[in-house]
Order: sequence, then structure tokens, then C-alpha cells
Amino acid sequence: MAVEKFQEWYENRHAYQTDWKKRTGSKIVGFFCTYTPEEIYYAFDILPVRILGSHEIQDVTEPHLFAMFCPFCRDVLAQGLKGRYDYLDGITIAQSCIHLRQAYTSWEIHKNPGWSHYLPMPNHVQSPRAVPFLVGEYEILIKRLEDLTGRKITDSDLNKGIEIMNKVRRVMKDIYEFRKQDNPPITGLESMYMTCSQFFTDAREWLPVAEEVKKELETRKLERDPGKRLLIVGSENDDIEFIRMVETLGERESVGATIVVEEHCTTTRYFWDEVEEGLDDPLTAIADRYVSRTPCPSKDWPQRTRLQRILKFAKDFNADGAIVIQQKFCDPHETDIPFIRKFLEENDVPTYFLEFDVTTAVGPFAIRVEAFLETLDQEDDLF
Amino acid sequence: MAEEKQEFWRWTESNWKNPDIIWKDAKFVTVGIDVGSVSSQAVIMADGKILAYGNMRTGSDSPNSARNALKFALDALGDMSEERMDYCIGTGYGRVNVPFADRSVTEIACHARGANFLYGPEVRTVLDVGGQDIKAIQCDKKGKVTNFLMNDKCAAGTGRGMEVFSDLLGIPIQEVGDRSYEFKGEEPPAVSSTCVVYAKSEATSLLRKGWTKEEVLAAYCKAMADRIYSLVERIGVKPEFAVTGGMAKNRGVMDRIMPKIGIERMKTEWDTQIAGAAGAALFGYTLCQKGKGRVKG
Repeated sequence: MAVEKFQEWYENRHAYQTDWKKRTGSKIVGFFCTYTPEEIYYAFDILPVRILGSHEIQDVTEPHLFAMFCPFCRDVLAQGLKGRYDYLDGITIAQSCIHLRQAYTSWEIHKNPGWSHYLPMPNHVQSPRAVPFLVGEYEILIKRLEDLTGRKITDSDLNKGIEIMNKVRRVMKDIYEFRKQDNPPITGLESMYMTCSQFFTDAREWLPVAEEVKKELETRKLERDPGKRLLIVGSENDDIEFIRMVETLGERESVGATIVVEEHCTTTRYFWDEVEEGLDDPLTAIADRYVSRTPCPSKDWPQRTRLQRILKFAKDFNADGAIVIQQKFCDPHETDIPFIRKFLEENDVPTYFLEFDVTTAVGPFAIRVEAFLETLDQEDDLF
Repeated sequence: MAEEKQEFWRWTESNWKNPDIIWKDAKFVTVGIDVGSVSSQAVIMADGKILAYGNMRTGSDSPNSARNALKFALDALGDMSEERMDYCIGTGYGRVNVPFADRSVTEIACHARGANFLYGPEVRTVLDVGGQDIKAIQCDKKGKVTNFLMNDKCAAGTGRGMEVFSDLLGIPIQEVGDRSYEFKGEEPPAVSSTCVVYAKSEATSLLRKGWTKEEVLAAYCKAMADRIYSLVERIGVKPEFAVTGGMAKNRGVMDRIMPKIGIERMKTEWDTQIAGAAGAALFGYTLCQKGKGRVKG
């Protein structure tokens, strides 16, 4: 099954990336946040790879990050400090939150990544000045990438980058369509492997596999009871252990569940929106996409625009309930969560809140999720 | 030879039989087994009424704890064999490891249902303070959970902490509540931490300073009350309010929480520790009534 390839890539990201470098002789830049314009990197034939954590207990980041910084930024920095990304040719971040930026800065200072670039992605994306500002910043980025690669790019290269990333977005959305089915032929876990493996691989090599998966799903049937349909909303999340626990509850307990859609920067916030193609100025088109994409809550002000989009996901994917998660100490999400929960509850989508850490407290989380699923049972045979 | 140390924390295990029910007339006999982190209970019901129960400490493995609790309840009854059960539901921390259970249900659902039974259908907010966790549950008139919160990551403020304290101070656990009010003058302030480890060292230093055991106990009960109340406060209290679990028996903590909540807690004659198992047995009874019980040969 082609779908298994995603997990293989997810689990062997470093092997894939070092091999890619050997095969192509091209450069790899690690990025910290999904506001990084990957289109521009592809225009330079540079492979942009997202750096995620490894969900292991570690002790190397203590001297670098405040105790009340989130576990995700800690886990990401640990990967650098432990030397797991020494093969990178550079690192970059587009401003989202201060926690992740501190992780980036520590990495930059202590690991000497060679090339590094901080992209001041505007936080006030609702300002009419955000797009022209970002275009100006992209021009600086392009100069820095010219330094890195020793080559110049044209609009046609940018259009190529746009095309690659848009294809990725389209196929992901097509695959998400299958998750709307009563018994989805792809689990939330497999879907998480899909979206995250794309961060780690060359989109041009990932795409044919995704296209094949799309074909497979047309006839695939899963021999499992889907149980309750869940939406997950919140901070960065590639917590495979948690997703697996939720989707296997039904094998051990009287209630089960399938995650049918998520609103995370590892999933829909990352890929849902496309760059408009065929415009005269591709750089403005790219800037426009990143300014108007589903925002991270660090940028979703003064209007809170995510609410309607989250509700639409809940309705379109027919979610029975939503698990709202926050990486511990993730302030932007913490600020949003009371509003999201209230809004979903008012629109008849029950919610439950969980606080995530580097590792998953599988036992304590299992009982909470299970009890939440029990409350979703409308035709409860226990009463 | 080391002198055998008295275990002050050891609470009395108990079993009980309802003398007013003739179980042989019952249509359905259902059993709820609650294997908690510290205590295990078995409740045997005849057509939705409590026939017998057993309440004892949880051992090192869940299947045995479940078996022992059931045996303890059957011992009280004297003349029923395990085969008479029409349905059995496992709940609690060890719920999936109850060997003879037909199904498992979370202790959150079971405590709400159990509180509805033990206290009456007016209960809307249930506080369960168990051995290692605290749950604040809201439920409807049927005892169905509508919302809940649990303590996160840390077991401070739970029953096991109180056991450790009773041992440290050499005060039998049953006396903790009353003794915590046996101080002269003003009530001492709460200890600054409910973390069992930190609180122990703080208590030791307070004793060295000349505090009486009762004063230290008052300070710890107050800290536990503060900690437990913070969870209740987050979910909000809708009347009526009821408490389940072992801590419901400890007035040292409960009488310090209730003024913060501002309403009276409901009263019951039942052992509050059996709420989870009672809820489980009731769920079993409902399933039997719907024809979803055990198929017997």
C-alpha cells in the first residue's frame, strides 16, 4: 500500500534527507514554522524541510529556553543541539511566536548552521500593508538565497515553485475528501503521517506517492468501526502516539473514535490555501497567500477569523465532537481556546480540552478521551 | 528484629449485605467492579437495588483486585455463586483488566451515575476525590455526564497523599478529620505545597518548630481543600452538589471546601467509596432490561 510510505518517511526523515542530498547534490534548508515560503526555496531547487521534534525526553535545552516556553520549541531545538540535523545547509524561520524564535536563535548561535535567515513575517496580517511589506522581505530572502546557491532566479522559477506547492495542497485536499465518508478509508493517523512526511521529503517525490494513495483510497475499505468522528484543533501537533491511542480505543474499550479532520499547523492550517496562479507578479501572489492563509493564532487579530473556518471543518467532515489541544505554555493558542470552545459549543459541537507535552501521558489522556466519547453518545444504551 | 510498624494509613476494609432483599426473587443480578488506584469495590445489585458490596485495598495487579473485591462482596452475601451474575461492568483505573466483566465504562460515567443513585437525581455536580485522582463532573437528572475535569499530571490533593500524611503524623486515617480541628486558637495557614513530597518536608519542619500534630494536619487539610476546590471552581458548581470517593469521609478536608463552594453538600447513608461500582452495576442493570445482558446457556 502506497499509504505506508508516508509512515516510512516520517520515521526515517534523516535517512531520506541525507540520501536526497547525496543523490541531487543540492542544498537543504530546515525551517521552523509553516510561514516559510517554500515556493521560493523550490524556485532555487533548494529542499525546504520542516523541523519537528522527536517526542523524547531530553535535557539539552535547559540552558537555552525559559522554563515556561512550550514543549514543541524545546523538542525542535533539541534536534539541533543533539546534532541530528548537522547535514543541513542552513536554517530559517518566519516569525510566528517568540518561543519558536528563541529555539531558532539558540540553534543559530550554538550550532553554526552556515546559512541562516530570519524572515520577519508580519504578525498584523490583517493590515493592508502586510502584503507589500512581505514582498519586500521576500526580495531580501531571494538575495540571501542567491548568496547560498550562487544562482539567480526568474519569475518562471517562482511559478515552478508555486506549481509544486499547489499540487501538494490539492492532492492533500483531495485525500481529505475521503475522510468525509461514513467509514473513512484513511485514518487520522495515516493522514498525520501524510501531511508530516511532506515536510520531510521533496514534494516532487512525495507527490506521485500521494497520487497513488488517492487512487487506492477509491477502493480501500478499513475493517474497523470508525466510532465517533473527531475534529482536533490547536497548537502544532504531530503527536502520533496520541492519535494512535485515540483511534485504537475502540479495540480495548466500549467506545472508539476516528479523527476525521484537524486544524493544526501540521495539517490544514499548513496546506489548505493555495497561491493564485497565472498572476503577473508571482512574488506578490505568494505573499498574498501567506498573509491570507488560515492564520496561526499569533496572527489572528484583531478579528478572530479562524472560528468560522474551524466550524466549517466540523460541519463538512461531520464531526461529533472536537478535542481542543494546546502545547503546554503555548500562549497564542491559550488565548484563543476559550473563544474556540465557546463558539463550537454554541454551534452544537461538544469540546474537550487537553494540554500536550513533549511525550504523551497515554493513560491519563485515554480515560479523558474515553469519557468525552461517552458523553457524545446520543442513543446511549446505558441510560 | 525490627519492631513492626503500625500502619496508620490503613483504612478499614468492609463488606455489607442488604438484609431486606431476597436476591433469589431478582430478575437481574448485576455487578459493578471499580478497580481504583488505591481501593477496589464490588457492588452486587438485584434489579437495580444494592444487595451487597465489598470495599478493599487494590493489590498489585488489577485482575486479582477485581476477583478479591467480588469475593469479599459475595462473602457478605454468603449464598450466591458468581455464575448468578447477569452482567458485569468493570470501571476505574483497572477497568479493562476485570477478567469476568462483559464491558468497561469509564469511572467518570460511573461516578456520575453512582452519585445519582446514592444521593438522588437532584445531583448536578459530583466531586470524586479518589486515591490518585480528582474528578469534577457535571451531570443531568439521569446521572449522565455533561462535562468533566480531572486533575492533570500531578496527584497532589488526593487520597494517597492523605494516607502518607496520616502515617507521617501517626494519626489513624479515620481520625484525621476530627483531629484536624483539635487545635487551640486560630486555624493555622495552609502548608505552601500539596505535593506529598514537599508537604512532608514542610510538615517535618513545622513539627520541629513546635507545632502540634493537629496544627500540621489542619494546615495540610486546608492546602488539600484549596487544591481540590481549584478544580471544582474551574468547572463551576451547579446545585445539588455531592461528593464521592474516600475523601468524602474526611471532614478535615470537606468542611474546609464547603464554605468556599457556598452550598451544603448532599448527604447519604451509603459508603461514598462505592459510587463508581454502584454506577457500573446500574449500567449493567439497564443493559439487562434492554435485553443486552449476558446470554446464558
